[in-house]
Formats: sequence, C-alpha cells, structure tokens
Amino acid sequence: MIQAQNLSKIFVDRKRGKVKASDHVSFEVKEGEIFGLLGPNGAGKTTILRMLATVMRPSEGTATLGGYDIVKQPDQVRRRIGFLSGDMGLYHRLSPREILSFFGQLNGLTGPRLKDRIEEMVALLKMRDFADTKVDKLSTGMRQRVAIARTLIHDPPILILDEPAAGLDVPTARVIEEFILEARKSGKSILLSTHVMEEAEFLCDRMAVIHEGRVKIIGGMEELRAATGKQRLREIFMELLSLDGEFARRSGHAS
Amino acid sequence: MRLNLVPVIYRKEILDTVRDRRTLISMVVVPIVAMPLLFFVIGHFMSSAERRAGEEAVTIAVRGGEALPGLLDLLKESGFRLASPEDIRAAMDNKQIAAWLEPAAAAGGATEIRIYADETRQASELAARKIQTALDRFKQDKITARLRSMGVSETVLKPFTVKRINIAPEKKMAGFFWGSLIGYMVVLLMFSGGMYPAIDMTAGEKERRTLEIFLSTPAGRNEIVLGKILATTSAVFVTALLSISSLLVSFRYSSFGKSSQRMKETIGRIPLDAQSLALVILALAPMAIMAASLMIAIALLAKSFKEAQSYLTPLVMAVVFPLVVGMLPGIQLTPLLALVPLFNVCQLIKEIFVGEFSWAAFAVTMLANLVYAGVAFFAAVRVFKDERVLFRT
Repeated sequence: MIQAQNLSKIFVDRKRGKVKASDHVSFEVKEGEIFGLLGPNGAGKTTILRMLATVMRPSEGTATLGGYDIVKQPDQVRRRIGFLSGDMGLYHRLSPREILSFFGQLNGLTGPRLKDRIEEMVALLKMRDFADTKVDKLSTGMRQRVAIARTLIHDPPILILDEPAAGLDVPTARVIEEFILEARKSGKSILLSTHVMEEAEFLCDRMAVIHEGRVKIIGGMEELRAATGKQRLREIFMELLSLDGEFARRSGHAS
Repeated sequence: MRLNLVPVIYRKEILDTVRDRRTLISMVVVPIVAMPLLFFVIGHFMSSAERRAGEEAVTIAVRGGEALPGLLDLLKESGFRLASPEDIRAAMDNKQIAAWLEPAAAAGGATEIRIYADETRQASELAARKIQTALDRFKQDKITARLRSMGVSETVLKPFTVKRINIAPEKKMAGFFWGSLIGYMVVLLMFSGGMYPAIDMTAGEKERRTLEIFLSTPAGRNEIVLGKILATTSAVFVTALLSISSLLVSFRYSSFGKSSQRMKETIGRIPLDAQSLALVILALAPMAIMAASLMIAIALLAKSFKEAQSYLTPLVMAVVFPLVVGMLPGIQLTPLLALVPLFNVCQLIKEIFVGEFSWAAFAVTMLANLVYAGVAFFAAVRVFKDERVLFRT
C-alpha cells in the first residue's frame, strides 16, 4: 500500500546549513499492517510523514501510496489518505458536525451520502452529546474523537498518524489505540510515528528506527531483538542509536 | 482546478470568521460604532467650543478710547461688553477679556487702531474678527458722513462692487465632499477590516496547526487560496458597505454647531443615485480583491497571529499615503495617475460623486486594478505553494 523509495529531504537552515531531515528512506507498509516510525525528537519522522501526505515535496526519491506517486499524482494520493497529528488540528470555532461536513465535502462527499456518513461517524465515536458544540468547549478526549472522525470521514485505505497520542493521558490515548487497532482490522494500512516505546511495542506489526534522517533498522519485534540481542524495545532503541554506551558511562560517572 | 471546492472552502472560512470576536470587532463594530461616535464627539466639541468662544469673545477692553469719539458707543452697539481691568495683559492671560484695542498715532497725523488678540485662542481670534468688522463699519460711516457734509456722493469711492458667485451646483459641492471622504475612509477601513480575517485564515491556521491537515485533503492550493481570498474580499466589502452606511447615517443625525449648519445643508444633499452607487461598488471590487490577496500573501509569511499583525499594521498605515494625496484639491485622474493603486480608486470615487468622471479614466482604473488584483492573487498562490513558508519553524 505504501512504498517509500529513497525518500530524501534537504532543508537549508540559516544556522546549520544543509540539513538532511530524511536521507534515502525506504520502507513498505502492507495492507492491514501497522507500521511505526520510531525515533527521538528531530529524527525526521514528521518530515517523512509530511512528504507521504503530499504537503511537502521530496528533494529526492519518491513514494507510492495505493499505487499513486506522491510527486506526480498528489491529488490521487490525497483522496486515499487520512492524516492525523497529535495536536489534532481542529477548527475551534466550528462544531464536530461542521468539521465533518467540511472535510467530507473536500473529499467529494455530498448530499445524503455526506449526511449519512457524518451520522455514522457521530454514532461510531459516541459524539452525539457534543456533535453540535463548538470544539472550543470540548474536553481533550472529546476533541480526540472528533479528530479521529475527521480522519475517517472519507473511509481512506491509508492512515498517516503523526504522534497521534502525544501529550494525551492514558484513557484518551487508549481511545486512539483502539481506533488504530480497529482500522487495522478493517484492512487499512497504517503508518504512525512515535517516540513512545510502549506505544510502538504494543501497536506496531513492524517498525523502522529512524535517527538523523536515516533508517537504522526495519523489522518486527523478533527481528529487532535478534539483530541487537536486547529484549525490551527501549534497550533495542538505545542500542541502535548507539547512545547506550554513552548513557551508561554518564550514569556510572554520576554514581 | 476543482472549482466546486471553492464554495465549500469559502463557506468554512466565512463561518470561522463570523465566529471570531476579534474579526467581528474590526469588521462590524468599528465601522458601526466608531463612526457615529466620532461624529458625535466632534460635533459635541465643535458646538460647545463655538458656544463658549462666542460667550468669551464678547468681553473686550479699550485703552485710550476717548481719543476717538464714538468708538466706545459703537463697540457697545456692536454687542461688546467693555471691561476696564487694571492690568490688561493679566486680564488677557486669565481669559477675562478676549482682546483689547488701543488707538495710536500713525504717520501723517492719522490714527491707527491696534487690535491685540491671541490668535491661538479661538475666542480671541473671533473677538478680533468682530472688532475688525465693527471698525470697518465705523470707518465707512465716518467717510460717508464727511463726504455728505462736503456734498459728494459716496459712490465716488466705489466705482464698482465685487461679488463672487459659486456656480457649482450644491449637488456637485456635496459630491466633492462625500467623494473625498468616502474614498478615503472606505479604502482605509477596507484594509483594516480585512486584516484580521486575512491573518486568521493564514497565520492563524498555521498557529493552530490546522493548515497541515487542510493541505493534505484533495483541495488543491489554488482552490484553498481562492476560497480564502474570496472570504477575505467579502469581509473587506462588508466593512466598506457598513462604513459607508454608518458614515451617511451618523452625518445625518449629528450636529456641528451653528456656523457649520450651512455646510451641513449643502453636503447633506448626498448625491447618491443608483448609478453612482453601482459604479462606486464596481470600482471598489478589484481593489477589494487586491487588498485581500495582498494581506493573505503577507500574513501567510508569518508564523503566528502576532507576527502577522506586526507585518500588516505598517501596510494599513502605508495605505494612508496615496489616499492623502487623493484628498488634495486640484488633482485630476489622468490616465497615468489612474495607474497608481488606491489613489486611483479614491480619485475615481470622488469624480463619480461629483459627476465628472470620464469613461476612459474609469476603464484604465478598473483595468489597472484588475491587473494588480491578479498579480496579488498569483503572489498569494505562490507563497501558498512555498513549503519553506508554510512550514517555517
């Protein structure tokens, strides 16, 4: 469903000069699979997701989503993706129904089909009590449900989720996790980025560890364990980032 | 380009805009409340200042008035109250008297009457003027009396009289006044009214992190920009219409004191027929698009609402310059000047109101502004396609 080939992005920063936010990144996400991009802050995860969501053009390389090229056919790609980020990006002065209607229409839904789909989403995500209240007045948990409904309104086969549970408390994050697992059941391809090890370990079928724009390793938990000789993802991660040794040295010094 | 998405985007932007308090204040409250308030306050101060000045201007002093027989009587007849303070300067400073006069000997045995007034004081200035008028009449009476005693007709001194007649019809006078004022106020308010919606739809969306999601939908950049520009243009236009209406209504129900009553009567004949109004609105249309596109393009460069505000405030202030030039009398809308944005619209509106515009100037102005609107529009689209701008960190 998603195939990234040598996806690269170079930024020119006034202070740091040329920065490779993504350096020849290649991976594949299959149908009904949850694939995680795992990396510390600033590793380049968001840049990769933005390129796949067609809001940023790659400097080099490309990717196909559902068979469509992100550079040559961005319109086709956009129709097939649902994009969600941790800060949700909801219009605070609109109500959930208005938001769903807007994004539904942008995705080509009209008339009774649009209406039915909105009601379906309202029922599915249990939003009936606040579907006509402005987002401004909603709790974080409610907003998260609105954001999920917006991502799913056009029933896209591919979901791109940028740190979807960042900054959420456990019960709210749980809503997101259930949504992601549910989406996998219905055969969607899900690409998500995270720096939370537990989340990745719990959700992802396979993952790519990203550091300084480069892919360090790709595989499922077993493959990662085999490659590093470590059990917990946290240890695997530190090992791969080769920060482990330094970390031990530092803590040893402190004691 | 999928044009069917433009109305969808437009509706969302309008809905989002009318629910924003900041925007509503600049778009609706400012024109509706500020204009009558401005007129009321100005009117109130003008009429009360005039009344106070009128009362103050009555009391004057004369030093050495006996030298000129009849002078004191004349002043009393003219409605002045004569005070005799010990220290004239101090009385002036304390505003006990508005002015004083003093006859003095001049060359050739003639008498010179000096009027001392403080011309920074409205009452003093007014008193001096009234004294001058009274003295002129006094002088005239004296001359007439002397000529009569010599048996000469007073027409000897007046071979002819002069009278100036203003042939500009009152409608034209009113047109000049309203044309200048409306062009100026409306264009300025259009910019300030469109500023917040433009910022909210661009830097505001960036700041609230909604833009990224918006850009990942099938709506193309052109459609998004067009929807946003049309929504801002609507805001700009609503501001313009509200301010024109508010201006006319407040004028009708305000008072400016007696002396400006005549002015009010003249300019009260608002020369607004359907054709003039339609032409004014037509002339404003490309300018509204230009203003909206320009503000969208600039506000988009900013990361946050505040930053965008600091970019656009100088623009709104810069708008004043071409407008002030347009307010100067004697400037005609030549084909070359019709190419100067903002100025051309103001000037055209003035000429439409006066009823003396040429279709050539109208066409050049419209064409020039359409080109500017187009350029500003494409600039906005270009900025919107620049990911360095969209994802500035």
